[in-house]
Amino acid sequence: MTFPLGGIVPVGVGGVAGIDSTSIVPASQAASSTSGSDFASILASTVDGLAATQSNADSLAAQAATGDLKDVHDYMIASNEASLATEMVVTIKNKAVDAFNEIMRMPV
Amino acid sequence: MGVFDTLGISASGLLAHRKWLDAVSDNISNINTTSRTNEAAFQERFINAQAVDYGSGSGGVRVAGTEFGSAEGRLVFEPDNPLADKDGYVKYPDIDLGEQMTQLLMAQRGYQANLAVVERATSTYQAALQLGRR
Repeated sequence: MTFPLGGIVPVGVGGVAGIDSTSIVPASQAASSTSGSDFASILASTVDGLAATQSNADSLAAQAATGDLKDVHDYMIASNEASLATEMVVTIKNKAVDAFNEIMRMPV
Repeated sequence: MGVFDTLGISASGLLAHRKWLDAVSDNISNINTTSRTNEAAFQERFINAQAVDYGSGSGGVRVAGTEFGSAEGRLVFEPDNPLADKDGYVKYPDIDLGEQMTQLLMAQRGYQANLAVVERATSTYQAALQLGRR
């Protein structure tokens, strides 16, 4: 009953960090766009949150297997949340890769 | 605070109703527990539910504690009972089975309602994620 999705953390988000938005936009607009954190760090923290959600579901699955589980719904909701979070992160990642590919296809 | 807060809030409702079910099953299982007239009768269990304020962070409900009913019980004339006093009386807990069955229904339906919220919230989140696919 364990999740085979344990090790999703090393997605390699750090490599994307070079593309921060401030280096692309002109100086006149840079002031407005530096206020938020860049996409890479947002994605990194989201992936960290995903790993935490999944390890929570994992430990509940272990409890269910060993008979230590106190509430059935705890595990069901945790696994539900983990799969939802995975779906969300994968969707966001796909969107980001699509956007990157779109930029790479731009004729110069 | 998280993206899927609804699930955690519903989980707190599920936990509260599970504890209510525990209390009702405790009451029903002890409904024929007799005791001597000079001892305390089995006390009915009540669950004290309390709202977790929405603004304070998580929202939902929690069980603040257990309350106990009267220890007086009701006296029943049972001279054959080994626990009977010299007048032939024993103490039964003061629990009404009909009321417990009603509470059982309410706890069960409340649990199911919270599960329905979990299901509906999951499909809602999935519908939102569909926006990101093409």
